[in-house]
Amino acid sequence: MIDAYKRLMNIEEPPAPKTAKGFFTDTSLCIGCKACEVACKQWNQLPADGFAMTGNSYDNTGTLGATTWRHVQFIEQAKANGHGLEQRWLMMSDVCKHCANAACLEACPTGALVRTEYGTVYVQQDVCNGCGFCVPACPFGVIDRTPTDGHFEAGTAHKCTLCYDRLKDDMTPACAKSCPTASIQFGDIDELRERARRRLGELQARGESTARLYGMPESTEAQEVGPLHAFFLLLDEPEKYNLPSIPRLPRKTMAERYGWSAFVGVGFALVAAVVFGGRR
Amino acid sequence: MIENQRREGYYDYPVIRRPVWTWEIPAYFWLGGIASGAYLTASLAQRFGSKDDRQYAADGFYLAAAALVPCAPLLTADLGRPERFHHMLRIFKPLSPMNLGAWTLTAFTPLAFARAAARAAETGLLRGPLGVLTRLIPKTLVELTGTLLGLTLAGYTGVLLAATNVPLWARSKLLGGVFMASAMSSGSAAVGLAAARRRAPDATLHRFATIESAAGLGELAILTGYLAQSGKTARPLTAGRLAAPFWVAAVGAGTLLPLLLHRMAGRRQGRPLRILSSAAAMCTIAGSLALRWSIFEAGKISSEDQAASFELSSD
Repeated sequence: MIDAYKRLMNIEEPPAPKTAKGFFTDTSLCIGCKACEVACKQWNQLPADGFAMTGNSYDNTGTLGATTWRHVQFIEQAKANGHGLEQRWLMMSDVCKHCANAACLEACPTGALVRTEYGTVYVQQDVCNGCGFCVPACPFGVIDRTPTDGHFEAGTAHKCTLCYDRLKDDMTPACAKSCPTASIQFGDIDELRERARRRLGELQARGESTARLYGMPESTEAQEVGPLHAFFLLLDEPEKYNLPSIPRLPRKTMAERYGWSAFVGVGFALVAAVVFGGRR
Repeated sequence: MIENQRREGYYDYPVIRRPVWTWEIPAYFWLGGIASGAYLTASLAQRFGSKDDRQYAADGFYLAAAALVPCAPLLTADLGRPERFHHMLRIFKPLSPMNLGAWTLTAFTPLAFARAAARAAETGLLRGPLGVLTRLIPKTLVELTGTLLGLTLAGYTGVLLAATNVPLWARSKLLGGVFMASAMSSGSAAVGLAAARRRAPDATLHRFATIESAAGLGELAILTGYLAQSGKTARPLTAGRLAAPFWVAAVGAGTLLPLLLHRMAGRRQGRPLRILSSAAAMCTIAGSLALRWSIFEAGKISSEDQAASFELSSD
């Protein structure tokens, strides 16, 4: 009976789970070449964002968006020491974090956003109806809707797919493939986490006291959105990279908010009943 | 370069993305709120009210049906791909307030129409075989189910906004309550307005006014709590471009003035009572739109506030 229904409705079996894949972005190795941005645009056939100059260092990309799935940040820091200003340049290739508890996926009312067999978060373009709820739900400002009058997949939500199409063919995602310094590393998530812990140890031994990992299962960032499938080694506080220190998952506070709403509604009904009451 | 160091984040770039929704959404919140509030007031009057209360409040079923007519088209128009509106109903996922809302609207609309049709058959407006058929509608059951669905419809909208990472919408626990109170005050005001136009007896008008004022007082109280919990985060709403629509239209003309007008109408009868009640009800209804619109628009400004985003996601 169910089988007949599935055949009739053309319902496919979900693919069998595979080893969880992800990105480890080691910002200490990033040289800001933006090869990842270009490779991502090229492979995913994303349109250019125009040639606006932001005036903010060499970052003319600005933010992640519907047609920008890798974004290289240029953080210029100057700190006074004994003899003048000590300067450094932090570079970081930002990307969708593919959260274990993804706010966008939970918000999605159509089921267009799904978790793939690789543990990543993916938007099914033929299902998304562009309701836009995932856009402000994401605590990292990653996913966005394309303009309805645009030429690229108009009016639906877009973000990094972790090159789902390439993964299906056992290929490395375009950004990681193009990264010349291995700042973007792709692989099995467990192995990447091991590698990240070793790398952090190395850097700390060299005196990089402010280095830290962002999005590991044990880190505070993971307390609501869970471990990130695209996690980072940062050289400063998360806020310096525009990353929230505890990314919020809206679901966690939803029951309480419904509760207050219901309290007011039921309260109104009781008052109205009393005002009407006894006058029949 | 030095300037950059004084700031906490990455230049002044927002942490989250700006909501893409446009005017259709606050318009829907407003109409959906009136529909639920009017349906609820009408249903409660049928159960608990006097003969006059029942008769005049029953217009609330017409109002609810009428207010629901533009709701689905408004929501569809706001989609990036309107022709895929039915994808909302391809799954049932109450975890997503958007999905819950789509299902609630889908279920509530026909119920409100059925109850309005039953009312039309009662008053002789709907005759012939259709009228006879309509008389078979189990009114009490429809009222009870509709009341629950109406409460859900009025209640989920504020929670939907709160289930984002926009600081103004997400910081306080009370936005859902604010929207619910606004729905109840504007819905009961719509019933009161219709009753005044149809020259309902004074006692009935006074009762509608009392209910509307109670909802207004509740709205004022929960709005105060909302602003207090939001603290600095509420600035895009309470100061700047939206301060006038919020303070003058939503709070002043939309909540305080109707309370004052109803109080003035307190001991009056006949025509002065009807004029004051109608004026108050119109203010409440317009104020509800101003409230939804200003909170909605202020949320867009708030979404670009880097410091507020960091504050929201640090405790």
